[in-house]
Amino acid sequence: MAMRQTPLTCSGHTRPVVDLAFSGITPYGYFLISACKDGKPMLRQGDTGDWIGTFLGHKGAVWGATLNKDATKAATAAADFTAKVWDAVSGDELMTLAHKHIVKTVDFTQDSNYLLTGGQDKLLRIYDLNKPEAEPKEISGHTSGIKKALWCSEDKQILSADDKTVRLWDHATMTEVKSLNFNMSVSSMEYIPEGEILVITYGRSIAFHSAVSLDPIKSFEAPATINSASLHPEKEFVVAGGEDFKLYKYDYNSGEELESYKGHFGPIHCVRFSPDGELYASGSEDGTLRLWQTVVGKTYGLWKCVLPEEDSGELAKPKINFPETAEEELEEIASENSDSIYSSTPEVKA
Amino acid sequence: MQTPLATPVPVLRLPRGPDGSNRGFAPDGRRAPPKPEVPEPPESRESWEQQARASLRERYLRSLLAMVGRPVCFTLHEGVQVIAHFGATDLDVANFYVSQLQTPIGIQAEALLRCSDIISYTFKP
Repeated sequence: MAMRQTPLTCSGHTRPVVDLAFSGITPYGYFLISACKDGKPMLRQGDTGDWIGTFLGHKGAVWGATLNKDATKAATAAADFTAKVWDAVSGDELMTLAHKHIVKTVDFTQDSNYLLTGGQDKLLRIYDLNKPEAEPKEISGHTSGIKKALWCSEDKQILSADDKTVRLWDHATMTEVKSLNFNMSVSSMEYIPEGEILVITYGRSIAFHSAVSLDPIKSFEAPATINSASLHPEKEFVVAGGEDFKLYKYDYNSGEELESYKGHFGPIHCVRFSPDGELYASGSEDGTLRLWQTVVGKTYGLWKCVLPEEDSGELAKPKINFPETAEEELEEIASENSDSIYSSTPEVKA
Repeated sequence: MQTPLATPVPVLRLPRGPDGSNRGFAPDGRRAPPKPEVPEPPESRESWEQQARASLRERYLRSLLAMVGRPVCFTLHEGVQVIAHFGATDLDVANFYVSQLQTPIGIQAEALLRCSDIISYTFKP
């Protein structure tokens, strides 16, 4: 039976959601953090999207958010010229790291001992979280504000992106190893440790590069400007979203567009696969996070696969025949009605 | 590609959102650290014994929880040792459900161990 994707909408934010990150898989499942211009990053259970808590303390838009591997710590980057480190179990603020300008990106090392930050002041900073009083190590070289900075190659190297350049740095020597120049603004960057792959988006392009050499592997063109893309952990699929509010799913090997989904009511700013690859989350200008199934119809998290014979009829919509309606129009109708399909549960907007 | 009139995947409910009244991170949530226990000075021998039993019981139950899915070495009567992946126990802790039970006559894919036969068990957390 053909099943249609039902995205799960996570409400709570009041302004655009600009960044999101998953933790690794922990004994308590995996977790999802979202950065929002409302200045209140939120932690959720990754598989269900259930809200766990809100990190309160920033005095400006939060541009970047991340979790450490075991989801015990969170870090956020904000427009109030600070990065903060939080206890992700209690929600308490652990550290405020003062910067000289807006902070855009934060990333923990695998062992959670160091935090990498980057922002409008064009400097990369490395904080030793065990020495909160010590000054951070600084790496200069970027010529415009840093949008994203990530640890790579088992934390021995750093990847960072400013407006039109992606640079690779050596952590030990703090020197630039290589750089890539683009003629368009780089909108996002994702690093996949398995296989050392770097996913970069700019314009309508989704490009894959070696994270070791920065050499290009391949690239796809999307029908619209793409703001973010994510590669499936098993490297089967790529999902991407951007200015046309749609999520695109591609076959990573062939580059074929497999599906595209409507749901968001504004441009998509960020999209990431969960650590188990079962779902992907998207954050949008419309102030929501949505969770999407990688394999539509699988019973997972809050999605319940009901076989036709088990179907009590409660969830089934009346079957109407539209003999003269074109297929695309039917799709339109279907997606416009997509908010009414939770008919078995009264909708509670929190 | 999506097929028109395809059935939408049913959902059990919507993700829970913030409740608006607090910042969350329930202090009694699943990941909250166990609170340090401040035991009251025991008033009588009876309450002292009850507390001892309670804490032993708690430790035992926590050990069961911790060894789910791990290889565990069970010491049975007459010094028999078997290794198996611990799965679960029944409500009254009378039987252990294990898998990959390594016995002298071969590996049992799934098995039940009678708790009364087990003298001790060890596992690495």
